[in-house]
Amino acid sequence: MFYRYYPFLRTFLEGCGHVVESSPPTDLQILEYGTGCCVDDVCVAVKVFLGHVRFLEGRVDALLIPRPVTVERRGYDTFTCPKLIAAPDMIRFFPHRPPLLLEWVLDLKRAPWWWGCLRLAARLRVPPTRARVAYLAARREQAFYESLLGRGYLPQDALRMSERKERGVAPELVRSDVLPGPGNGGAGKDVVTVAVIGHPYLLSDSLVNKNLFRWLREAGASILPCSMLKAKDLEAEMRRLPDLSWSYERELLAASSFFSRLPNVDGLLYLTSFGCGPDSMVVEMVRREVVSAGGKAFLEVVLDEHSAESGVRTRAEAFVDLLRWRKARRRENTGRTPLPERDSIGPPICRRMGDGRERKKSLPGSYALDDGGEEESCVSGGAAR
Amino acid sequence: MTVKVAFPHMGNACIPLRALVEALGAEAVIPARPNVETLKRGVLHAPESVCLPFKATLGDCLDALERGADVLAMVCGMWACRFGNYGLIQHMILRDLGYRFHSLLVGRENAGEVVETMRRLLGPGFLQRVPKALALFRAKAAAVDEVERWTRWARPREECAGGADALAARFLKELDEASTVARVREVRRFFREEARGLPLDGKANPLRIRLVGELYVLLEPSLNHDLVRKLGSVYRVEVHPVLSTYRWLLGPLWLDPRIQLSGYLARRRIRPYLPYVLGGEEHMTLSGILTARRDGFHGVIHAFPLTCMPENICRTVIPGILVGGRLPYLDLCFDEHTSAAGLETRLEAFLDLVASSRMSRQ
Repeated sequence: MFYRYYPFLRTFLEGCGHVVESSPPTDLQILEYGTGCCVDDVCVAVKVFLGHVRFLEGRVDALLIPRPVTVERRGYDTFTCPKLIAAPDMIRFFPHRPPLLLEWVLDLKRAPWWWGCLRLAARLRVPPTRARVAYLAARREQAFYESLLGRGYLPQDALRMSERKERGVAPELVRSDVLPGPGNGGAGKDVVTVAVIGHPYLLSDSLVNKNLFRWLREAGASILPCSMLKAKDLEAEMRRLPDLSWSYERELLAASSFFSRLPNVDGLLYLTSFGCGPDSMVVEMVRREVVSAGGKAFLEVVLDEHSAESGVRTRAEAFVDLLRWRKARRRENTGRTPLPERDSIGPPICRRMGDGRERKKSLPGSYALDDGGEEESCVSGGAAR
Repeated sequence: MTVKVAFPHMGNACIPLRALVEALGAEAVIPARPNVETLKRGVLHAPESVCLPFKATLGDCLDALERGADVLAMVCGMWACRFGNYGLIQHMILRDLGYRFHSLLVGRENAGEVVETMRRLLGPGFLQRVPKALALFRAKAAAVDEVERWTRWARPREECAGGADALAARFLKELDEASTVARVREVRRFFREEARGLPLDGKANPLRIRLVGELYVLLEPSLNHDLVRKLGSVYRVEVHPVLSTYRWLLGPLWLDPRIQLSGYLARRRIRPYLPYVLGGEEHMTLSGILTARRDGFHGVIHAFPLTCMPENICRTVIPGILVGGRLPYLDLCFDEHTSAAGLETRLEAFLDLVASSRMSRQ
């Protein structure tokens, strides 16, 4: 469920001598469980979360729920989403839950990272010395996981790999869904590069995002997920942006800004869930400040528990088509390549792409694209100035 | 030339705020009360799934800008609730629409910046006017609060419907025109005298309902379809919101320690349910429900805008609090689509339930 800290917590708990059972990837039944038993206007992530809790009822003895309150230290107060802060409270009165509730508090404003672990260990009656060993192992595991993310793997693939490593399989052998990183310029030259930005629970839950990555890939796009960005890059980006009190959304904002200035990224796709409080504001900032300044195409996909797969697929395909067309049009405007026909956009033209960095600079950037008409209100046209 | 400062509406907050702005030496521009038109425009330009107060205040700002305001004031801060970022994003949207104005985002984090901006806008001597302005502000806020409280109490008891409202409206207007603290006191005295003269039904024993929920939806009559007045005059119910304009205006300025105390007690009371601060009014909501029975209320109405984060978390916790408490509870979700008829049906059904619950208790 929480694609951010799972490796850390699993290793920590195993180090403490407990067996860790995690719920399987979300399936329709879990989603149905969740939507059936929560209040009506929360975001899909909460529904999924409650569904998982209900799924685990009777299967486990204790349930551990992370409670990230403050995940960074700054000069002002920062928070995560209120729903994450109150996640353990939401299920305290939930009828379908395992008997024992554990929580792992991450409140960096008041106490360091290990304090929450120590409290958790005390709750589990694990001596501090053993907890310390487990803690260090868990930090190593988390660092490995984050390095996998940094190489461009999606969180769920990275999780699978970090688990296989324990079983002695080299991570390089599981390359089913390897995504090209930014360094290799989007692998082939005939593909457009889409940066996908969104919370980890939306990026990695293929039921919730309706196989978005598969559709994008089939449409011929190479994908850069925002989970691959390093904290250092984001930090540098954040300094240029207005302060936000939500840490995770701040990261997303920084990621959008980072990608929108990256020359070989053609378009940004922002995943958000319906009713997500912070996102509803941040998307607005992304759209107005970041994307329009960078001149990239921008698509916002709002997910809910019942958006049909075909809807997401149509949007993904249309978006990739649009990006291709834009790319071709851009070349046309610079006058270096002949005018492409819509069907023949492919290797012959794209071979002359050259270095995206230089091309970007040589562009006067004075053309206007009206690409909003292709889809419904979901697409906001990348208003290139 | 004086600068024209505008701020969004919230209940009767415009009376003390206007006094504050004018005492500081600027001109206040009061937008039209939120209505269908301004709300529609706010909805048009606001993000899709943002909460209702954002849309309403954005509409207010648009209206104020058209009335010639050149400074838009808004509260901001670093909270987990979206409200802290309203000003930032609204002003971003308004600038994109082509309006030109100064933003005055008042928050704890940027106090120095605020003073600097105000000095630039109001001229160097404004700091000397601050204590006097705050005194007037406080006096007016307290007076408005008294009028509002009395009206809520008197509505279900008055013999001729509408009398209390007419009286309150007249005195609110007089308060708005008062320019000194002494005059505000005088108006208050007159008000008390006249209020005593209003014919009341001494035998009335109205139901007492506590209103909890999101601040803006509770206090802005045009968004909640005049919920408070309707409950009082039409359904003859005594209504007590846990929040008030007075509380909201003076709390952050530390002008009344009672507000801080009650907030602290509320936080302590809800610690078993929500140990961490969520940034909204969740502590007042939950503690309002926890103490409703003790304070002699017959039912609780919980009003909140669609997708409000803190109140939605409260809603997941509330069933756990209400178990076995036998406290009638109604939640009302407000959006720009909420219709008055739907609201009335719910209220009538709920009040029937509350009345029968009181009967069975006696």
